[in-house]
Amino acid sequence: MTINHHPSEESIARYAAGRLEAGPALVLSVHLAGCPHCRGLLRTFEAVGGALIEDMPPAEMAEDALEVALARLDADAQRPARRVSAPQQLAPRLGDVELPAALAGCEIGPWRWMGPGFRLSRVRLPGEPDANILLMRISAGRKMPEHGHTGREFTQILSGSFSDSNGRYRAGDLAEEDSETEHQPIVDRESECICLAAVEGRMKLQGFVARMVQPLLGF
Amino acid sequence: MWKVGRRLPTLYGHPANPDHRLSRRRDAGKKKPGRPLIRGVPGRVTGSMNALEPSAVSVKPVAPRPPRRVVRMSTAPPDEMTLSPEAQVRLVAAIAASADRQAYAILFRHFAPRVKTFLMRSGLPALTAEELAQETLLSVWRKASYFDPGRAGVATWIFTIARNLRIDHLRQQRRRDVQEEDPSEEADAPPTGEAVLITAEREAIVRRALTQLSDEQATVVKLSYFGEKPHSEIASELGIPIGTVKSRIRLAMLRLRALVDDLR
Repeated sequence: MTINHHPSEESIARYAAGRLEAGPALVLSVHLAGCPHCRGLLRTFEAVGGALIEDMPPAEMAEDALEVALARLDADAQRPARRVSAPQQLAPRLGDVELPAALAGCEIGPWRWMGPGFRLSRVRLPGEPDANILLMRISAGRKMPEHGHTGREFTQILSGSFSDSNGRYRAGDLAEEDSETEHQPIVDRESECICLAAVEGRMKLQGFVARMVQPLLGF
Repeated sequence: MWKVGRRLPTLYGHPANPDHRLSRRRDAGKKKPGRPLIRGVPGRVTGSMNALEPSAVSVKPVAPRPPRRVVRMSTAPPDEMTLSPEAQVRLVAAIAASADRQAYAILFRHFAPRVKTFLMRSGLPALTAEELAQETLLSVWRKASYFDPGRAGVATWIFTIARNLRIDHLRQQRRRDVQEEDPSEEADAPPTGEAVLITAEREAIVRRALTQLSDEQATVVKLSYFGEKPHSEIASELGIPIGTVKSRIRLAMLRLRALVDDLR
């Protein structure tokens, strides 16, 4: 799988710093799982975090901090030592669609019909009520709703492909659009396209149908 | 094999000398490079704390010791001592191999206060920061066997643990349930020597690159790691437009990346 479209370095840096909003961070983690190039960048930015930790002036800890820590080891020692692989989790599914493992902890809503050839599912991340995360399933040859956004939009292509003014996006690619972009992706003719998308801030849908569905989506 | 390692700055110890354990930052330029301060079984840091007693340390402290109020078990003030990245890796290995509590105590004294500072600067209250620093180091104990020196240095690994705990903590404030284990903590294949070397080099390069940023750029990079504040607040605080904040962050990151590429 050749990946041609990547998240911006700035977004990877914010992810490394733990400062990317939960929704975009989830989409980025799906991209990272399949992209060695971006994982390399992530490690570099995480190393920045390591270097910053090393340079921190030590804070004053509670007087008995080390004793507390060692006592916790005693309590912990009763557990068996383990180096076991995490139990093999079944890949999350939505109907006939197999989803990335990163979505395992999410509540995934049913596919909802939003218009001809266009279905959506709302993804909720426990503890992150403000995260706007969507699964989109769009038939071959269909236009996706024209929209702009107040914040950035992150779209990871899970299967199929679409094209917009920036080029063609295939499975494994991540499209990162800033708030200035207004774009209208068109799904390529070969097959339907399934994407995972998250926006920072609120999405502004432009078309008539889009304005109709906006209240349904709760954006 | 140590060809690459020799390029590491003296500040972080001498990988060319496998016997090297601890170096004193202030003395880094004064002593002979690579001179071992403490002798022990190469590749292992276990056993007694004698290794840390002043008699075993061959370099006299330069400055008078600050009054110690904080940590008890230590025989030297923790902030006077710098643990080389290689020594850190050996300490984690000792915990993984033999549940070595002395190794843990050394790591705890070095990292817990720094993690606490990091979390406080990230906007957490001191008490929460202390709890999460404890939690971070407990994870180090529990996950020591998952540590992969072919992927990250110890400080970087600990940074990612603290980062994830901070995110989980903020999430749990909104939700009481316990979080899932991070899938990235799963056991990997044993690291190759090459991967370990590449990792050590990458981390050393990043450290050097950070020191070569201008003050302003370093501030901006730190802000983007610690700044709880949105760009708009940073903008009003610094009295510059929000676009300038964003472009400064972008420029600083670009420069950091360019430096990392140059040094490679």
